Amino acid sequence: MRRSRGGTIVLTTAAVFAALAVFLPVWWVFVSSTRPGNSYVEHMAPLSWLAFVPVGGDLTNYSGLLSGPFLTGLFNSFLVAGLTIAFGLAIAVPAAYALATIDFPGRGIVFTFIVLVAMIPFDAIAIPLSGLFQDWGLSDSYAGLVLPALANGFAIFVLRQFFMGIPSELLEAAEVDGLGRIATLWRIVLPLSKPALIGAGMMLFLSQWQAYLWPLLIGTSPERQLAPIALANLSTLFTVDLGQIFAGSFVLTIIPMILLLFFQKQYTESLSTTGLKG
Amino acid sequence: MRPATATRRTARSTGRAVRRTGPRPSGSGRRRSRTVRTTLVAFAMLSPALLALVLMRVVPMISAVNQSFRHVSLATGDSEFDGLANYTHLLTDPGFHSVLVVTLVFNLVLNPAIVVLSTALALLTAQRLPLVGLWRSMIFVPAAVPGAVVALIWSTALEPDGLVNALLEFVGLPPQPFLTSSSQAAFSIGIMVTWGALGYWMIFVIAGLKDIPDSLYEAAALDGAGWWRRLVSITLPLLKRPMAFVLIACTVGSFLLFAPVQILTKGGPNGSTNLIMFDIYNRTYLLGDVGVGQAEVVILMLLLAVIVAVQFRLLREEKA
Repeated sequence: MRRSRGGTIVLTTAAVFAALAVFLPVWWVFVSSTRPGNSYVEHMAPLSWLAFVPVGGDLTNYSGLLSGPFLTGLFNSFLVAGLTIAFGLAIAVPAAYALATIDFPGRGIVFTFIVLVAMIPFDAIAIPLSGLFQDWGLSDSYAGLVLPALANGFAIFVLRQFFMGIPSELLEAAEVDGLGRIATLWRIVLPLSKPALIGAGMMLFLSQWQAYLWPLLIGTSPERQLAPIALANLSTLFTVDLGQIFAGSFVLTIIPMILLLFFQKQYTESLSTTGLKG
Repeated sequence: MRPATATRRTARSTGRAVRRTGPRPSGSGRRRSRTVRTTLVAFAMLSPALLALVLMRVVPMISAVNQSFRHVSLATGDSEFDGLANYTHLLTDPGFHSVLVVTLVFNLVLNPAIVVLSTALALLTAQRLPLVGLWRSMIFVPAAVPGAVVALIWSTALEPDGLVNALLEFVGLPPQPFLTSSSQAAFSIGIMVTWGALGYWMIFVIAGLKDIPDSLYEAAALDGAGWWRRLVSITLPLLKRPMAFVLIACTVGSFLLFAPVQILTKGGPNGSTNLIMFDIYNRTYLLGDVGVGQAEVVILMLLLAVIVAVQFRLLREEKA
């Protein structure tokens, strides 16, 4: 749509202002994390430019943070998120492929069931589930941390939508060439499905990376705490420097940011699939 | 609705497959055995996912309902059927009434605000502007920040000598107590949730904007419609579906808000931020009242189901 020059300037100014306003707290956290201990406060009242420009700082907060329980938490968070992506895709891919390409009686019902169950918000049933996990001997274990995230109906949905877009001529040709169903999935379909795999993988990753209630309920011993829990616990200690909280917050923020830098397109496209095409 | 659309599409896209392997009235034995085999293969591929969904989602829901009718003795650990006692306890508890009021008011203000702001940002960043991808990504960044970290970032930003008070002072306004004041704590939590959610929901509205055909705007431009007219007559009516989705999904998310309350306010000051999820956690784990906690889980799920159904209804009818 054509627009006047003045209009473009006004809209661009508004967009820049909105982006800076939203991004400012993250940037402030980063700059403050480079101020040793609680010394960030010196630049706050009155507000000085040093509150937003990372010069003259150091990394003592990071070294202090990484010598404590946060490091274990970070390791656990990566381990749990990695296991969730691997097993989550291993479960979702065949299910989505069956729904997209095999015609069997009851397929509509199965699909409706998956979509309906996916809409049960996990946090609402996290507390009853944690009671069950106790009975099943799964509390305070890595399996306990990973298992609930594997039941991700949206990942199945996103993959199914993508698989359905693959031309059936291709699958038939593979069949004519004597390729079995699994071989077709593995050698033909999956190499074509990178965007959907990345999108579903990101959904699985973020569902774990952002989790708080469940790991709080289930990862109870310090060796199995995830990073957000470790950081939140750290913040309640009176002896802690806020600088370390800034550093931990920034670490937990920059990791998904880097992933999104590479995979934002696939992730947002997968997200929109769940929102609109359903 | 979702399932209906999905089933329709399924039927359409696999017409050929139906012809090839579907059961026929006069199907031969060979064909039937092939159908049985394909069905078995399909269910084998689906079974891990179905098992996970049943065990991790359906079973706990049933367990919550079951436990909500039982009383667990703290002394012996035995549980016995207790009828509606947990529900009557909750529904006659003034503490629970205030939890409901706080939760409902919080949601009534928060969710419409998030829908309006994320739509505005979507409209802005869907324009062709210099470096617009960068601005859009910067707005999206908080969506990647874990909820617990959002809470920690904002608790430091809202401290007496934090970022927000420094900015207020910079423009000549008096400092505010924020999380430590019972009149501002819920508002402060609302701010951090909005900040963390905007970019996420914006993505859905942008996807909806991309689905609006350019030809509509071109026709409107030929008719001499200005940008306001185009916004009101074309864009917003056609955005109703994604906006309805955002409102419903965002309401569900906000009803389940937990991390900022547990980390920052513990429901206080004076119960002003005692949202329902924290109250459930509190009753179940800190007070050890499992039966009452599960009854509250059931009430929360019923409440959500009703609210989602009503929102769905209203937005549907408006469209027709």
